[in-house]
Amino acid sequence: MLWLCILLPPLDRAALHNLALWALQWSSQVSPHWLADEDSARATALLWLEIGASRQLFGGASALRAHIATGLAALGYEAHLGIAPTPQGAALLARAGHDEPVASLSVLHARLQPLPLALLALTPAQHAALRSTGLETIGELLAFPAAALARRFGPDTSAYLQRLCGERPEPLRMLQPPPQFSSRCEFSGALTDTTALLFPLQRLLAGLQGYLRSLDRAVQRYTLRLEHRGHAATCVEIGMARPTRAAAQLLTLARERLAALTLTGPVQALSVQAQEFLQPLVLQLDCFAPGIQHSEQLQTVIDRLVARLGDAAVQTLRIAADHRPERAWSALAAQPKHAMTTPPVAAALPVAAVLPSLRPCWLLPQPRGIDRPGQLLAGPERIESGWWDGADIARDYYLARGTAGAHWWVYRDLRSGAWHLHGLWA
Amino acid sequence: MSHAIMMKRHEERAAVLARLGEACQSVRGDGRSGDHDDSRARAAVQPTEFAQLDALLPGGGWPVGAITELMPEVAGIGEISLVLPALAALGRAGRSVAWIAPPFLPYPPALLRHGIALEQLLWIQAPDARTALWATEQALRCPAIGAVLAWPEGVDDRRLRRLQLAAESGGSCGLLYRPQACAREHSPAALRLLLRAAATGLHIDIHKARGGRTHAVVVHPAAAA
Repeated sequence: MLWLCILLPPLDRAALHNLALWALQWSSQVSPHWLADEDSARATALLWLEIGASRQLFGGASALRAHIATGLAALGYEAHLGIAPTPQGAALLARAGHDEPVASLSVLHARLQPLPLALLALTPAQHAALRSTGLETIGELLAFPAAALARRFGPDTSAYLQRLCGERPEPLRMLQPPPQFSSRCEFSGALTDTTALLFPLQRLLAGLQGYLRSLDRAVQRYTLRLEHRGHAATCVEIGMARPTRAAAQLLTLARERLAALTLTGPVQALSVQAQEFLQPLVLQLDCFAPGIQHSEQLQTVIDRLVARLGDAAVQTLRIAADHRPERAWSALAAQPKHAMTTPPVAAALPVAAVLPSLRPCWLLPQPRGIDRPGQLLAGPERIESGWWDGADIARDYYLARGTAGAHWWVYRDLRSGAWHLHGLWA
Repeated sequence: MSHAIMMKRHEERAAVLARLGEACQSVRGDGRSGDHDDSRARAAVQPTEFAQLDALLPGGGWPVGAITELMPEVAGIGEISLVLPALAALGRAGRSVAWIAPPFLPYPPALLRHGIALEQLLWIQAPDARTALWATEQALRCPAIGAVLAWPEGVDDRRLRRLQLAAESGGSCGLLYRPQACAREHSPAALRLLLRAAATGLHIDIHKARGGRTHAVVVHPAAAA
């Protein structure tokens, strides 16, 4: 067993819970501890991670320590780390500022020798008892036999020293990953600006990323819940083109959505919730780069555009088998609602079969009535269609010369005789 | 002139232009085959596929990783057909093309006739000019998008510079359609073209070409008639 201890600055229980979820990506054995009286809202906290099993995955204990330190710094936490074969040993080394991982009990014992007694995790009364003896270093204290220590300083101190040195197991309660993800952050003062939500959101999404990595899962949608005082919370659904677990990507989409959001009131608390977990597609497909890299980049930009403009604003175009010009096309959301259920792309129709003649590059969204069609250059092409669905048309289309040499696609309605501009040969 | 004759003329022109395009490629040794050294050497342009125009443009095509301004006198003179051969080539190379808030519908039956890969076309609508500009910048930054067509309104030199930088970072062709009045204003665009209808075809004034000379030429986009 090898333990890594993360000694954290004072924070509240919810923040510790979120960090514990974040830490699951490094180890399946994570134990959060909150060192405070029950009535205090914030206290010094620590996380223990068993890294004996996982360190090789991350390139050894020192490399893993560096990964975790970098991650914590990115989240804005000033933390101290220690690595030792016992949880209490790791915590003590973290307090002492010992960077070097200690892998064996004998090295731990040697490392503890010169350290001051003040580093021991004991109560003020227990510390006072130790000071009264005139001892100064942990080495001097550990030189006493266990029975003598228990007699002199009480069974608790003795038991602690045994746990420190690995002679007695540490009773730890491990975090069980919950079946659904929920993490919350409460603000000391209400926030009135959505940009102020981004930093706490970044931390919550880091928790989500760690949680998803530990389960080897990804999400395609998650919910942001903005809590207000005195009225209903604002829920923002964030959806993605394909499942992901990259916190940066999750954050980018949320940023776009928040930027477009008008707050209904000051925000008291923020939470992130995710319920549906999917296989991560991205990692499995990494090997097919660069084609996949292109499609990844494209999906990322489509996600961003959809987050700000909405599904209906980001589309691809298709032709449709209909003679009526305004129905000879259709648009389809560029972002599939669910990556798992993407409908197969409709088989391409033979171009010649669907496209009877040349058509202009621009079609007007609505035909525009015009008094005179200009000089008719070619035509007519008669289009009579749609008698079966009530939207039938009967028109003669012409190529016409409009203003400044522009080429227009115009038609005369065969029933009313009125001229319309329907397209431009741009 | 009968409709049939008109259409025949269209098709003849398309065929002539296609042959010209092939001739251009053989002269240049055709970089689209995937020869890396060659494509890097010519990485700065995407051929317009109009031989007469490519011959006048620095590098021989639309500047890549830069902004091009197209300023037509009016809509409907062949200003879109002018860029379609290059967009079709980008599609064949597997890159997407984004149309940001176009003034009319890019009509799929026509685009398909021009060889545009519809599945690689992104049609993006925006509620206002500011959002459209934001979307333009996002699209320009994406390396998977080979060209971005946009109709920016109320952009100044500073905004154009942002778009220019975005195009540089994404390595895409930024094709901005702007009114001719903008030609008087200074612009960081690598290429600025004034377009008007010619008796037959499209008259192009090269108003500014970074690393080249100003010039004028008439081309015949297939659908400009």
